[in-house]
Amino acid sequence: MTRRWAALPVVLATSFAALWAARADPRRGERVFQRCYACHSVVVGEDKLPGPNLRGVIGRRAGTLPGFRFTPAMIGAGARGLVWTRSTLDEFLVDPQGVVVGTEMSMPGLPSADDRRDVIDFLESAAAGSAPPLDPR
Amino acid sequence: MRRIALALAIASAALFTPPPAQGEIAVQTYALPTGGGYPHDVAVGADGIVWYTAQRTGQLGRLDPSTGKVELVSLGSGAAPHGVIVGPDGAPWVTEGGTNAIVRVDPQSRAVKRWPLPEARGYVNLNTLTFDRRGRVWFTGQNGVYGRLDPKTGAMQVWDAPRGRGPYGITTTPDGAVYYASLAGSYIARIDVESGAATVIEPPTKNQGARRVWSDSKGCIWVSEWNAGNVSRYDAAAGTWKTWKLPGEHPRTYAVYVDDKDIVWLSDWGANAVVRFDPAAEKFAAFPSDRDGANVRQLLGRPGEVWAPESGADRLVVYRTK
Repeated sequence: MTRRWAALPVVLATSFAALWAARADPRRGERVFQRCYACHSVVVGEDKLPGPNLRGVIGRRAGTLPGFRFTPAMIGAGARGLVWTRSTLDEFLVDPQGVVVGTEMSMPGLPSADDRRDVIDFLESAAAGSAPPLDPR
Repeated sequence: MRRIALALAIASAALFTPPPAQGEIAVQTYALPTGGGYPHDVAVGADGIVWYTAQRTGQLGRLDPSTGKVELVSLGSGAAPHGVIVGPDGAPWVTEGGTNAIVRVDPQSRAVKRWPLPEARGYVNLNTLTFDRRGRVWFTGQNGVYGRLDPKTGAMQVWDAPRGRGPYGITTTPDGAVYYASLAGSYIARIDVESGAATVIEPPTKNQGARRVWSDSKGCIWVSEWNAGNVSRYDAAAGTWKTWKLPGEHPRTYAVYVDDKDIVWLSDWGANAVVRFDPAAEKFAAFPSDRDGANVRQLLGRPGEVWAPESGADRLVVYRTK
């Protein structure tokens, strides 16, 4: 490989990272989160909604948020080892009722991979305290 | 071009179970076809035809109970319909939550007509709708709005709901008043149908989770309280409340409907049952589903029939009361 091409992997990696960073815009995720907003919050203390608070959901075992009344289906999924990671959240958001049979969440899922990535970015940034302010519009 | 996403028609012969009698109530079930299940809401017209929202597949289902035949009308790409009612024109009207629009499906041609919400409002998570006495559609958006559509002119207005997210069930009383329930806000509200202003009315139980509302023949508003497991009645004339806890250890009251005899019908997810409540005798009678996690999210009927969509069992169930 000539010197000229030797830098190509670095250039590609840098470009990919830049592209990824450009994609990982929590503001896009905040817009997608409007599909979830009626039942879920990422705001500390908003815990009287139909769904569990999702602040810090990544890394949490399914069905274990203290104070929320989960379905037996979600508690069982957690007991069988379901932990919310980017990957498991992505799978769940494709087909919630298929992944956790018996979940009460009626949202039919997010078919767009971009939407799922963006909303997961948003949830990660919410946990880090860097999420944009929520705007239900 | 007619914008109709038509329909695969799937006959479902032999999908009925014989109607077992339970007291004076006969219960009959209709299994729904694969790819057209997960019924969220249901509505029955004066002609006996039943419409239901197949939320997960973006379709409106049409069941002819006399034959068991189910027809599915596609509501288009991205559709995830939530509520359905039969309007004064005999057509099914839908809160199309997936694409943020009010939708009418022509009952003869199956043509789909859409009234999108204003772009500036963003996604509102449309929930449920009702007609007022002037033929206007009132609707709720669970992200924190309610609105009005005049189908004659296409004019649509959307208002911010008190306390933000939560507007869920909505109903019209016999004298034309419109009320909605706020699940996250734990209140009901009366809407001034001319000005659009909403007046909050607080149920006596804190954080009760008022999910759906229905009116009886006298204009009293019945409320299903999801968090509290109650049913409550608001007497608008007297300004008073009365509340009853559903039977069982952990009732969760999801749906409410009042039939033509002022009997109150509820769904209780804690007991996996449809529950009949006689307000005069203050007695409950439960009809547990024979399927786990039936998850009845709404109830609606016509004289002599109460329909329950079992979203978790891909069935429609009818309770025949005469």
